[in-house]
Amino acid sequence: MSETRLSVIVVDDEEPARLLLREYLSAHQDIDVTAECANGFEAVKAITERRPDLLLLDVQMPKLDGFEVLELVGGGITVIFITAYDSYAIRAFDVHAVDYLLKPFSAERFDEALSRARARMRSHDTRPLPVADLVSSSRPRRGPLERLLIRDRGEVHVVPVAKIDYIESQDDYVAVKTGGKSYLKEQTLADLEALLDGTRFVRIHRRFILNVARLAKIEQSVTESRLAILADGTELPISKTGYARLKELL
Amino acid sequence: MYLVGWLPISLFVMGGLGHLGQGRPWTTAAAFFLPLTSVYAFVCLSAWYVCRVFPIEAGGRASRAAGVHLIAGAMTSAIWVTLAEGWAATLDALTPGFGAMALHAEQRSLLFVVGVLLFWLVAVLHYLLIAFQASRDAETRALELTVLAREAELRALRAQIDPHFLFNSLNSISALTSSDPSAARRMCLLLGDFLRATLRLGASSRISLSDEFDLAERFLSIERVRLGPRLIVSREADEASRACLVPALLLQPLVENAVVHGIAHLLEGGTVRMAATRVDSVLTISMENPCDPDRPRRGAPGIGLDLLRKRVATQFGEDGAVRIDESSGRFRVEVRIPAVTGA
Repeated sequence: MSETRLSVIVVDDEEPARLLLREYLSAHQDIDVTAECANGFEAVKAITERRPDLLLLDVQMPKLDGFEVLELVGGGITVIFITAYDSYAIRAFDVHAVDYLLKPFSAERFDEALSRARARMRSHDTRPLPVADLVSSSRPRRGPLERLLIRDRGEVHVVPVAKIDYIESQDDYVAVKTGGKSYLKEQTLADLEALLDGTRFVRIHRRFILNVARLAKIEQSVTESRLAILADGTELPISKTGYARLKELL
Repeated sequence: MYLVGWLPISLFVMGGLGHLGQGRPWTTAAAFFLPLTSVYAFVCLSAWYVCRVFPIEAGGRASRAAGVHLIAGAMTSAIWVTLAEGWAATLDALTPGFGAMALHAEQRSLLFVVGVLLFWLVAVLHYLLIAFQASRDAETRALELTVLAREAELRALRAQIDPHFLFNSLNSISALTSSDPSAARRMCLLLGDFLRATLRLGASSRISLSDEFDLAERFLSIERVRLGPRLIVSREADEASRACLVPALLLQPLVENAVVHGIAHLLEGGTVRMAATRVDSVLTISMENPCDPDRPRRGAPGIGLDLLRKRVATQFGEDGAVRIDESSGRFRVEVRIPAVTGA
């Protein structure tokens, strides 16, 4: 059974829940629990440092939920979700979770999830389960992004979209400007544009997305081009198509 | 139905008017009056529109409706009399010596009066029908409202306990059974007490404020097993407020929100403060907890708060008030209701 040892990180904000997982895991000799985390921030740090083989992940936690943790640490990790809420199941399979355990669950059910994870790892198969294809085609799109997750210089920032002033494209990165601060995120402006609420954020220029709530006035400069003046005095260029988009919204 | 109702009327018109023209055979009267009254039966249906446009309401519009009906009746009857004249001429032309024209000439003015009276009769019947329908509609609406209210109450009761609270609690018990059996047993007892209390209490029952606070505290102590030292509870109720009666489980949506949308999102946790004061005839209850202003807004806390607002509104009307404040990381709900103590 034990070909190689398996490193596991347990993430749950509830002490009794971690206790239970530790107990269920203790029955398996080939498993090393390398970290136990009580919140999303700890989890992101621990996962990045130790790259475990398997992640046992709670969904509802302070600051960062389980899905946000996964988004920040990137793919390639085998995950078993553990939660009291069955409503996250479809999303869990969307992010290629091996299994989805509903609290409370038995040791037998846990072992089943574990062997499923082992099988997945042996086959080095990171493709989504067939069920994911089935559900994702019939699944309604989730609403626009509410919070932006940014890992900048080893730190995790959670920025509610309402606090964003504007976003500037910088090659493969975007600079998210909020209240005088700037965070770099590895994403293209077009990708981000698609995720944001189109009634609140407008691509005013090839290089800029503007939070419309921050717009103070539009200035016509000498040439054909226009300038957006933000509430804090920042000036951003507006392209012709950008102006058309802005006008349509206002 | 309507036409059957007209049958005696036409017989009456035929008998009355036909008889007055003495010596004329019944066949003449029947041939003349029967088609005439049946046509008028249809004509009078038009009174329905007049009745609909000029309803008799509680405030002074009746005189206008009466005037309209006076004119409408006269006009309709005049048309009828003209029709009768044409009909009599046609009958006489078809059967020479039939005598319909002579009959009509004699009874023309009487026919006009009968026509007006019949129009009014139909109008009155229409008004009665409208009134009857209106009262039936009102009854149905009232019934619908009570059914809705009862449904809302049932839904409220079901929604009061979040099933995920149970799943999470069971998971905690499952964890504690091997590591700390006596803690597991304590949790079972707490859970049992709490569930029994919530099942026993209906949406309409009232309990004392201190009992309500006890229930809230019991719920929070169950959640404390799960959340650990992150969850702290404080309770302050002045002497005068403790015996006041409140709708049972009024605060349940608030304590659930305080945990699910408040404490559970905070790394360091915080204190859920319940407080109550009574000033004269007003009882003020407040629930306050720290919260993360940047928390994700899914699973809206709005449902629980809506429930609370509805209950306060239906049970206390104008005398109840719910105020919700969220500012700089604190969430506070204040409920004000009339202070009533059990007799």
